[in-house]
Amino acid sequence: MKRSWSDVALSVWGVLVFLFLFAPIIVIIVSAFNTGRLLVAWDGFGFDGFIALLAKPAIRDAVWVSVQTGAIAALVATVLGTLAGIAMARHPGKWVFWFIGLLLLVSVTPEIVDAVALLPWLVFLGQDLGLALFSDGVVRLVVGHSLFATAVVSYIVRARLVGLDAQLEEASSDLYAKPLTTFRRVTLPLAMPAVLAGFLLSFTLSLDNTVIAAFVQVSGTTPWPVYVLSALRSGLRPEIASVSTIMLVLTLVALGLVAFVLRRAGDSATQIARTMTGN
Amino acid sequence: MTHTRTPVRILASESAAKVIRSELSRRRFLSFAAAASATGLLAACSTGGGTSSAPQAVGAELEDALSIYTWGDYDNPDVLTAFTDELGPTITLDSFGSNEELISKLVAAKGTSGYDIVVPTGVFIPQMIENGLLQQLNLDLIPNLEFMDPAFLGRAWDPDNAYSICKAWGTTGFVYDKTVITRELTSWADFLDAAQNEASGKTSVLDDPGDLTGMYFWANGIDWNTTDAGDLAAAEDFLVNTLAPNISAFDSYPGGAAIPQGTHVLMQSWNGDARIGILESPDPDRWQWVFPGPETEIWMDNWAIATGAPNPEAAHAFIDYVLTPENQLLQLDYIGYHTGAKGIEAAAAEAELPMLDLVFFTPEQIATMREGEVNDAQQARVDIWNKTKAAAGA
Amino acid sequence: MPRFALAIPAWAWLVTFFVAPVAMVVWFSFGYKPGIFGTHANDVLSFDRYLEALSPTFFTTFLNTLWIGLAGTALCLVIGLPVAYWMAVKAPPSRRGLLLALVMVPFWTNFLVRTIGWQVILAPEGWLSTLLQGVGVIDGPLDILYTRTAVLIGVVYNYLPLMILPLYVAFDRVGNPLREASKDLGAGKWRTFARVTLPLARPGVIAGVLLVFIPLMGDYITATVLGGAKGNMVGQLVASQFQTAQNWALGSAMAVLLILVIMVTVALGALVVWLATLPFRSRNRLVLGEPPSTRAAPAAPSGADSAADTAPAAADRVPEEVAS
Repeated sequence: MKRSWSDVALSVWGVLVFLFLFAPIIVIIVSAFNTGRLLVAWDGFGFDGFIALLAKPAIRDAVWVSVQTGAIAALVATVLGTLAGIAMARHPGKWVFWFIGLLLLVSVTPEIVDAVALLPWLVFLGQDLGLALFSDGVVRLVVGHSLFATAVVSYIVRARLVGLDAQLEEASSDLYAKPLTTFRRVTLPLAMPAVLAGFLLSFTLSLDNTVIAAFVQVSGTTPWPVYVLSALRSGLRPEIASVSTIMLVLTLVALGLVAFVLRRAGDSATQIARTMTGN
Repeated sequence: MTHTRTPVRILASESAAKVIRSELSRRRFLSFAAAASATGLLAACSTGGGTSSAPQAVGAELEDALSIYTWGDYDNPDVLTAFTDELGPTITLDSFGSNEELISKLVAAKGTSGYDIVVPTGVFIPQMIENGLLQQLNLDLIPNLEFMDPAFLGRAWDPDNAYSICKAWGTTGFVYDKTVITRELTSWADFLDAAQNEASGKTSVLDDPGDLTGMYFWANGIDWNTTDAGDLAAAEDFLVNTLAPNISAFDSYPGGAAIPQGTHVLMQSWNGDARIGILESPDPDRWQWVFPGPETEIWMDNWAIATGAPNPEAAHAFIDYVLTPENQLLQLDYIGYHTGAKGIEAAAAEAELPMLDLVFFTPEQIATMREGEVNDAQQARVDIWNKTKAAAGA
Repeated sequence: MPRFALAIPAWAWLVTFFVAPVAMVVWFSFGYKPGIFGTHANDVLSFDRYLEALSPTFFTTFLNTLWIGLAGTALCLVIGLPVAYWMAVKAPPSRRGLLLALVMVPFWTNFLVRTIGWQVILAPEGWLSTLLQGVGVIDGPLDILYTRTAVLIGVVYNYLPLMILPLYVAFDRVGNPLREASKDLGAGKWRTFARVTLPLARPGVIAGVLLVFIPLMGDYITATVLGGAKGNMVGQLVASQFQTAQNWALGSAMAVLLILVIMVTVALGALVVWLATLPFRSRNRLVLGEPPSTRAAPAAPSGADSAADTAPAAADRVPEEVAS
């Protein structure tokens, strides 16, 4: 197939943007092997940063808290946001206006306000009402991180479905599928790329959340970004880059595996529609 | 250090001030409680524990665990592991990025935060004591206090070290690029002058209202804790209209990146941060550290124990453990700040640690260092800081 | 079952963990700061904090914020749109999921750490400077950190995924058959893109723009890490009251004002866009023509046709959506 110049230009642009996205990451990977005292100042090549990690369980713990929190928060936000997004796109009405208003409010509120508000609230729920659940560090972090993420998923899922014809769903119910079956077999697959994108975004947002996290964390659950921020006081050491590199490598390996597994799975509405119609 | 510098601004002896302070705090607690009952659960945010601040530790057996809430990467990992190996308690380390975070956390948790040791900066200690966030130390359990230099004990915020012991302290100075600023700078007035001339658009200042307004006050011989409206207005006028257009960044840690990378020409910085930056610079000779006159800051992070600490015995044992001379040296080597121990300068020199002139200061220099204070002018200082930022960003 | 039944869980979650606690903070804004060590008190209520918050500093800073918000969002859109289109349409379908994940992977490295990565690249003696000097493009060291350009690099870098992902999802749903149909009807690829693909991706464009613009307006860290003083944002004012001044009353009032101002800005922006695109929309209507007279039968026909059939039917909804 002969490719037109515009296709070539698009591909070049795409590759350039990916380079842009990964540019600072390359610096970090290089810095991971720095033997100096500071992450930014190159001294020599070595594995000191990786070795230092062994002596510092605090770093490992912080990363683990963040990954755990990120996954759970993303899951919560994705479930809530997907349902809300579908409702907004498929059952529009006056309520959508108000609901979007709420979502906008969630996304527009500065994080520091959420943080200052959530801390006493969670303490109130956990201690005064005796809901021990809310005294748990991971639960608190998940709650804090899921707010904006829920709004994000809702927007994306709605944007995916709104205006996309509801015929398939109508067809499905005309064929006597139960509402739940229609939802599971038609609506959800149609929304799937948005759900996936929403999950990825939620996870990412959670992984970077510093302000809310700093306020709601409890003993033993300092998340990674809070650790890094507070470590500035004595100068970031190369092991911060080393652990980031390890995370990156693990991520890429995991992605490779997932990509391999999902290779045959349909990933666009077209294919889903085909599957649906028995082709 | 005069008595009038203590946060409770009354003329009284230190001991009388202490009594009055506790009296004040009890009254204030009562008024808080009244307000709180009016606002229901909002009370969670403002009253603090109000629980007894008497020491909980009596020298009994150590608990199995210890939770420390401190600045990130602020302790030598070797000291932490050695403590666990020798005495048993396993350490959980948590981090905060600002004193305000620490205080909000302790206030909201009402004594159930689960943290044992916390490491607040000195100026915040009166507030924490008043809100019942700290418990008194049982100094009998901390015999190694004898290894501390008295110069760094009994500071204004806690005159009897009833609640806190110096963990590390530092001062504020500046660093400049000798290849660009060829004259010699020695004072805050020189800093402000160079910022408007050779270093214009290449100057960074600390991202802190106290240090920003402090520069002006120090340069002009005014107490940097002044609450005088005229002084504050003059500082605002100078900082917003004259200095701000020359500032390119508000960076609290230039040593972490800006100095090694040569991003700025003139940088206000803390001594330990400047030291790391210069040490790690590919061209250390390019940078000149200045301990500026006539006055500057002393800040101090302190070991303290939170109210309701679940492991008070282990907490006391840890503080005592860290205060031994060999551990103090390990700590100093790791974080690059003076820990306030006696005779540590000789030990550090013997261990051949580099650039010790940025860690240790002469008694004459120390005499020119002033403690900060959270007082009535705090709001005005924050406003000046915000206005300066707005002017610098325009 | 009410129409909004599926939105109830999200609604309940947000009311419990957002509305309730934040309402409390908003309540503080009518109070005051009691003494040096208190953060807020509400025994005397007033609007005084709002008057205090409406300072010239607020507006100067807000203008800078608005500039950064608009420029940042526009750049994200311009840079992100072709990438999203490429990922959703041109890239091999089997690789799309992977590409989507790869957009996010850099952001799984901590924010401060990636910022440091950028500083190493952009510093006067950094990688880029050395490279450009080596090639001979510039004479002296690169002077880009702590400029407005650096502000935008920082903002675009960190917000680009929030633009690319919704756009990708939106382009993905347009589907090939519809584009083919457009081409079969004689439209060139540019016309197809401008008249079919882009209008259909419109909800995604809106979602992307909102997802970048709104959080960016409340953000105060991203712009400063590379941009320094030039990246001063109004969110900083709010944070400084809560944190440094420990004046929750004033901080809350400022936060409420900030939220109101951003909402008004978004509403104004929507109005401007609506007015400016009025002529284009009527042309779209013409191109897409009357709704197909044979609206597809409820039971979708089998085979690949089904999707092709679905698409025009979807297309005819565009004007409705626009009008709403």
